[in-house]
Amino acid sequence: MSATVWQRLPWIAATLLVAAVVHMGSLHVLPHFVMARALTKLGASNTMHPGHRPDASSRAVVRPSPDLLYAACPFDLSKGPLRVTAVVPHETYWSISAFDSATNNFFVRNDRQIAGDSLEVLLMRRGQAWPPLGNALERVLLISPTTKGLILVRTLIDDDRNVPALEGMLQRSKCETVATAARLR
Amino acid sequence: MNLALKISAVVIVGALLGLFATWIAVVRGDMPGGVSNGPWKTSLAIGSTQSDPYTRASVALHGLFALNRSETIYYTATSDADGNALDGACRYEIAGRDPDARWWSITAYGADDFLIPNPANRFSVAKTTVQHNANGSFAVQVGGANNSANWIPTGAGAFSLTLRLYNPGPTAAIDPVQTMLPTLKKVGCP
Repeated sequence: MSATVWQRLPWIAATLLVAAVVHMGSLHVLPHFVMARALTKLGASNTMHPGHRPDASSRAVVRPSPDLLYAACPFDLSKGPLRVTAVVPHETYWSISAFDSATNNFFVRNDRQIAGDSLEVLLMRRGQAWPPLGNALERVLLISPTTKGLILVRTLIDDDRNVPALEGMLQRSKCETVATAARLR
Repeated sequence: MNLALKISAVVIVGALLGLFATWIAVVRGDMPGGVSNGPWKTSLAIGSTQSDPYTRASVALHGLFALNRSETIYYTATSDADGNALDGACRYEIAGRDPDARWWSITAYGADDFLIPNPANRFSVAKTTVQHNANGSFAVQVGGANNSANWIPTGAGAFSLTLRLYNPGPTAAIDPVQTMLPTLKKVGCP
């Protein structure tokens, strides 16, 4: 190997090292960037946004299913815990799921895993004050890995004639920041 | 070349190389760590908090808000059974029986990962909409002209198909590589 190559070797190694750092860094940042952009598109934080049946004009989130209705609640727990109250149908598939700011799906529950007609989800950060409990028969207490993320409700359109009723059900689902009372240990 | 210039060159070239590697790995390429069942590909780590950085970045770009595998299995086909890229100028046939799931659907997406505009406003077939034959099987035309329930329009350019299995049954959940899925064959091109 010539002396010139030996002289350039440290620079080549440094270039590859920078490439590796940028590659791994961009892989880490990409999901956070995509998530932040999607949350902005979906609407105000800590509010449920029921959507219409996806079609070719639906451009907020990639690969929407035209057979499902969605309601999305971008959450920001810096203002306190979040209470989600959802109406649960049992005639068709329904699920509620939670995603952290890195796009990980850290919680999901579907209609077959819920006995009643409604579900309350209390979402908070570890160490955040405990919110007062509502009157829901079924309740899930959930610790979010990140301050920001998304709650997503899906329901299957089993019959086109049921779309208005399913849309009405999603509109009755709520998502709100709640006042706190006690410290969660 | 002075030292500052050399360091700048290292940083710029290194950064470009790193970003190019990311583009190759997750923007342009197949799902990292994916497995295949015929033309249908999936990753066992979709939606999981345990997924690797490559899978997580790929899902963020091509399947944001995907549920984890216990709830839903997502398969994507970008090529037919012979390995040729799906082309909106051609016609294809999806044939088989209901996959092992509470509910399933097959949806066509354009190269931009959104639903493909078409005059019929049709984008998918599903367990609840497909017309089955008397023996329980079904055949769906993808692309071309048709107006039956078993038809998915595709537009003119490159496209892909997503097969969703909601609440997968035991055979699909345990072995998504071997579970029975519909076939996807090219019928012809004009």
